[in-house]
Amino acid sequence: MSPRKAFDEARLMLVGLLILIWTLIPIYHLFVMSITPQAEAFAGAVWPKTPTLDNYTTVLTQGHYFLGHFWLQLFNSAMVAVAVAVLTLVIGTCASFAISRLRVRIGETVSNLALLTYLIPAAFLAIPMYATMGQYGLLGSRWSLILTMVTFASPYAIWMLRQYADKLPYELDEAARIDGASPIQIFWLIYLPLMMPSMVAIGTYALLLAWNEYLYAFLLLSSDTEITLAVALGHFLSTDDAPWNLLMATGIIYALPPAAIYYAFRRYMVAGLTAGAVKS
Amino acid sequence: MASVSVEAVRKRYGALEVIHGIDIQIPDGEFVVLVGPSGCGKSTLLRMIAGLEEISGGVIRIGDKVVNEVPSKDRDIAMVFQNYALYPHMTVRENMGFSLKLRKAERGVIAERVKKASQILGLDPYLERYPKQLSGGQRQRVAMGRAIVRNPQVFLFDEPLSNLDAKLRVQMRTEIKALHQQLKTTSIYVTHDQIEAMTMADRIVVMHDGIVEQIGSPLELYERPNNLFVAGFIGSPAINLIKGTLRRDGGRNWVATEAGIDLPLNGNASGQDGQPVVYGIRPEHLVPADNGGLPVTVSVVEPTGASTFVYADLSGAQICGVFAEHPGVNPGSRMTMMPRLDRVHLFDAGSGQRLAG
Repeated sequence: MSPRKAFDEARLMLVGLLILIWTLIPIYHLFVMSITPQAEAFAGAVWPKTPTLDNYTTVLTQGHYFLGHFWLQLFNSAMVAVAVAVLTLVIGTCASFAISRLRVRIGETVSNLALLTYLIPAAFLAIPMYATMGQYGLLGSRWSLILTMVTFASPYAIWMLRQYADKLPYELDEAARIDGASPIQIFWLIYLPLMMPSMVAIGTYALLLAWNEYLYAFLLLSSDTEITLAVALGHFLSTDDAPWNLLMATGIIYALPPAAIYYAFRRYMVAGLTAGAVKS
Repeated sequence: MASVSVEAVRKRYGALEVIHGIDIQIPDGEFVVLVGPSGCGKSTLLRMIAGLEEISGGVIRIGDKVVNEVPSKDRDIAMVFQNYALYPHMTVRENMGFSLKLRKAERGVIAERVKKASQILGLDPYLERYPKQLSGGQRQRVAMGRAIVRNPQVFLFDEPLSNLDAKLRVQMRTEIKALHQQLKTTSIYVTHDQIEAMTMADRIVVMHDGIVEQIGSPLELYERPNNLFVAGFIGSPAINLIKGTLRRDGGRNWVATEAGIDLPLNGNASGQDGQPVVYGIRPEHLVPADNGGLPVTVSVVEPTGASTFVYADLSGAQICGVFAEHPGVNPGSRMTMMPRLDRVHLFDAGSGQRLAG
């Protein structure tokens, strides 16, 4: 390696290192606070004098006023996330199949309209969405959050899955038709198996979108037994002496599933994020 | 097996008509090749026979049955695609058995038919592999295997060899022909490659701009092309076509070119004195002559081993001669080429149609 090249590389490394530290500092604080006893919470130490896992025990045993429904709320989060992922995939695969494979007449329009919905920021739709859920009598139910998140995730899912679907050669469908397959059989036996990698990517996207959602969860859900853990975390701050160490421990626990999912499916995620970027 | 009959078939996309009423009768067991330049409508016609495109007018029959409104799966046909269209997530065995599985055939029957087909095609060692683990030639064979397990009435081939390299193409060409001689299933084969058409076909349908220019056996098309298009399309290197005026004087006929060259003709050539014509002579029907031939100036000499191609200038017209023996000329040298008079083709310059005789 020439000195010149080594110098360039070193500069890039330095920039990378800075960004890495910048990204990790909040996570480091999160972690340190989660292993700090209540008494030391605001000592401002880089590392606690007496690190402890007591906070985690308290969280997992629901041993605090704010954590009275920890497991139920964690379940709510999971249930909402999984339901959103499944419903989004059902809508996305059916729509992309209809647009890309059955080539229905208005498919192109639907596909473009789907993208158009992203021109309006989700926050602007909070009031209309609240009103709509109220009209259907769904306020306070987890279904209101599920339906809302599906509404936000579907257009992206349709658009992305359609991009993937267009890459499958159309001759496969024609060959299957000649082989004797009905559209339903083409969907199940040809389309779904070949779309599986992109479905994993889009499913993960929808899952994490719902898991991380705060605004709509806060708005649409109210009772302690219906809210997701994200909203419950927000409730910690409703008192003056918030138990920060417990909040951080819960935060760490809450962050683990997405991290695990992302790690497990990272191959598909990268493919999913870059697909459609270039025409191939 | 069955005959296929195409009667006054038309295809329109909106206001644009791409196939203008085509009639082709294909008897049971025949191997017919549809050939023509890209955009001539040959693939569209094949796809209409397959049921992948709607028929805008006319009738297509397979056997005695009109199939215009019959879905692909009920036409009892099998198709081999240019890009093979193998199902990537299925093994070779599953690919070949897919159609039988959809038709709810018994497992034993599927296994037996797949085995038979794989033996015919030499695919036995690859049955458990996935398409991506196969070479181009093997994929092509799987695509054919998928077609033959069904034992369909008609095979349709849509440029099946154009994704293969030159050597493999020649080999697969022979294999497909041998397969047809073994199975004797009516086959319709689309290609833009006239060599493929000539070597494989029982009969060739030459298409151009959505119409049929000529239907005939390979040798008929070669020896008696109906018009300038067929003459120019069939044969390699392409036929020499020289414009001129037909002259008749007593028993003697010739074609006078604008450059003042007289091209010799048989005594029995038809046409009117003074008629503008195109004089066609294939490169392989020119022979080096000591005198009395066409005086040319050699521009390029291409020895291929088996024969030698000589490209030359005939007073402004480029012509090509193919000689079994190297004529011993170099670029720039002058020679004379004599057309074999019984092999001269004469076309009307206006209509492009062959003049009888």
